[in-house]
Amino acid sequence: MTVAAGIGYALVALGPSLALFVSVISKKPFLILTLLSSTLVWLISLIILSGIWRAFLPLNSATWWPFAILLFTSVAFQEGLRLLFWKVYKRLEDIMDAFADRVSKPRLYLTDKMQIALAGGLGHGVAHAVFFCLSLLTPAFGPATYFVDRCSQIPFFLVSAIIALAFVMVHTFSMVIAFNSYAEGNKVDQLFVPVVHLAAGMMTLINFASGGCIVGIPLLYLMAILTLMHCGRMVSRRLTENHRQGSS
Amino acid sequence: MEPSILGSFGQEIIGVMSPVSLCMLLVVLLVYSLSPSNPFSSSSPAPVRTVANLVYTENPSDTAAHKLEGALLNALVFVILMAIVTFVLVLLYYYNFTNFLKNYMRFSAFFVLGTMGGSIFLSIIKHFSIPIDSITCFLLLFNFTVVGVLTMFSGGMPIVLRQGYMVSLGIIVAVWLTKLPEWTTWVLLVALALYDLVAVLAPWGPLKLLVELASRRDEELPALVYEARPTVSRNEGNQRSSLAPFVGGVSDSGSVELQAVPNNNGPRDGSENRRSSEYTAIQVRNLENVEGERDRDEGERSPLVGHSRERYSSDGNSSEYSTVVRNRESEIVVDEEMPPLVDLLGMDNEREQVRRVGIGDSVIASRGIKLGLGDFVFYSVLVGRAAMYDLMTVYACYLAIISGLGCTLILLSVCRQALPALPISITLGVVFYFLTRLLMEPFVVGTATNLMMF
Repeated sequence: MTVAAGIGYALVALGPSLALFVSVISKKPFLILTLLSSTLVWLISLIILSGIWRAFLPLNSATWWPFAILLFTSVAFQEGLRLLFWKVYKRLEDIMDAFADRVSKPRLYLTDKMQIALAGGLGHGVAHAVFFCLSLLTPAFGPATYFVDRCSQIPFFLVSAIIALAFVMVHTFSMVIAFNSYAEGNKVDQLFVPVVHLAAGMMTLINFASGGCIVGIPLLYLMAILTLMHCGRMVSRRLTENHRQGSS
Repeated sequence: MEPSILGSFGQEIIGVMSPVSLCMLLVVLLVYSLSPSNPFSSSSPAPVRTVANLVYTENPSDTAAHKLEGALLNALVFVILMAIVTFVLVLLYYYNFTNFLKNYMRFSAFFVLGTMGGSIFLSIIKHFSIPIDSITCFLLLFNFTVVGVLTMFSGGMPIVLRQGYMVSLGIIVAVWLTKLPEWTTWVLLVALALYDLVAVLAPWGPLKLLVELASRRDEELPALVYEARPTVSRNEGNQRSSLAPFVGGVSDSGSVELQAVPNNNGPRDGSENRRSSEYTAIQVRNLENVEGERDRDEGERSPLVGHSRERYSSDGNSSEYSTVVRNRESEIVVDEEMPPLVDLLGMDNEREQVRRVGIGDSVIASRGIKLGLGDFVFYSVLVGRAAMYDLMTVYACYLAIISGLGCTLILLSVCRQALPALPISITLGVVFYFLTRLLMEPFVVGTATNLMMF
């Protein structure tokens, strides 16, 4: 429905991430590089997954359990990749610390590490929004719109933009939680991230039922807000601890 | 609290990646807005006869095998012609026809900006029904072209203006190249990546010869290159001492880049260094250009495909014109002024000093990475062609190209010599395009239209 609507949908999905990008990430080139590489990792994971599942596509959209298996395998694979991402990050952190020592600069601060985690998570979120929402948005710039049978009250583009926004939040902040928990060795938080990701994926299965999106999407947002709050709590706890440690 | 190192790590890479991304974005936008709104309309333009179409003009009704064979022949002819022209350039440079080359490049830049840029502006005006009269339009175009020629071939112009004109040249040529038929484009891109690899790394490759010639004479390379000047580092002090610029050339299809202007006299402190270095070798003598090449060939009596340059009319009259498209020089040069990345790979300041002496006191004068214009053009052609299919392929190809560029830059800081910038990126781009188109799209569209996402 015209260019204005198309841009509107794109901004619904990517607005907060754009704000985060401009305010935090665009100032430090290394964070931009982190964002690009995590987007690339997400894309590669998506390609591998689609390679594995290609033989079974197109799925019969009458039954829901093939989709459940699809979602489960996809989420499991991506969580595995997150672990790999963490290991690579550890090595990079060592290299950067060594470099900092060499030029006699301070080592990476806690806020730096969190910013890197944020950039990584934002990369995943932006990749999700781009591939699941924006790439399907081209017809929205034209004169018409499109409705899906199962969720026939709002245009498909708007629904996918809203879902993408929730997932952007989940991805961005769960990366921060994950990196912090791996660094601290906190088992509960380490499990929190995959569980939330899986739960969010499964919530979208509720959309499968006719009219299910009225229930599914608010639940999805519940997960996103849960992630956000947990992340906020953890970050403030770590920062106060760090500050107290530093000043004592 | 002292500023952390996170603020300055990797600045130079971003300095190269942003113009490349901007060029790709604008080409995608132009391709989308200038593509006919109704693909089945009868006013589809007649196929353009260019050098790249010399042997075989693609016809949508041919079989796949026939198309592939025709595309291979086209690509072969194009690469051979380009190799010949590059050798001619090396010869001219060797015999010191530098004045001729310089004026030739000025003329060709004027020509590209004027005619090719002009016809793109005209089609934009036509497409968006912008109310502007022809006299104003002509005046604006003339100003644009003349300022462009001035910024690129004389010193004393603000670097931002020069960078802007480089990017717009890349955009103009890339938009023209996307008009080629599909199979020919893909095969041509792969062939150019291979040619680049050979031309820069093989000992008899024309680009390698050009680099060596230029470095022996301590001159700038005769090429169109984009320079990303370094930003001023916010923390003076330590950073400065580790700045021992070195030459690392990454050359690719076309341009030869040179670095090596002795700069030993300047003291090691930052500003002095920069001042002396910037003006010695930054005088980029741009000799290679798209139209230029073709014209030179005409001058040398090597007749090529039809030379009638008529304005391209989009209403279907079969107007033939030879889009003289030649590969631009492209290359990257890394200046070791990016201490973080260099040190990231294990080199320290002491070694830089030693290396400087070891190279025979030839130190780079320019600072900042240089990327040849051909790189811009062919990356944008790849992304533009991906845009003609779907947005998903655009993002996938964009990410692939950017990561290829990043890998090439890292390789550059390790290898310290001229490296081709096309092969890795083009390979990754083509692979990702076909993987996305064949594998990922059914997967993602299938789940997304059912409102199931993860």
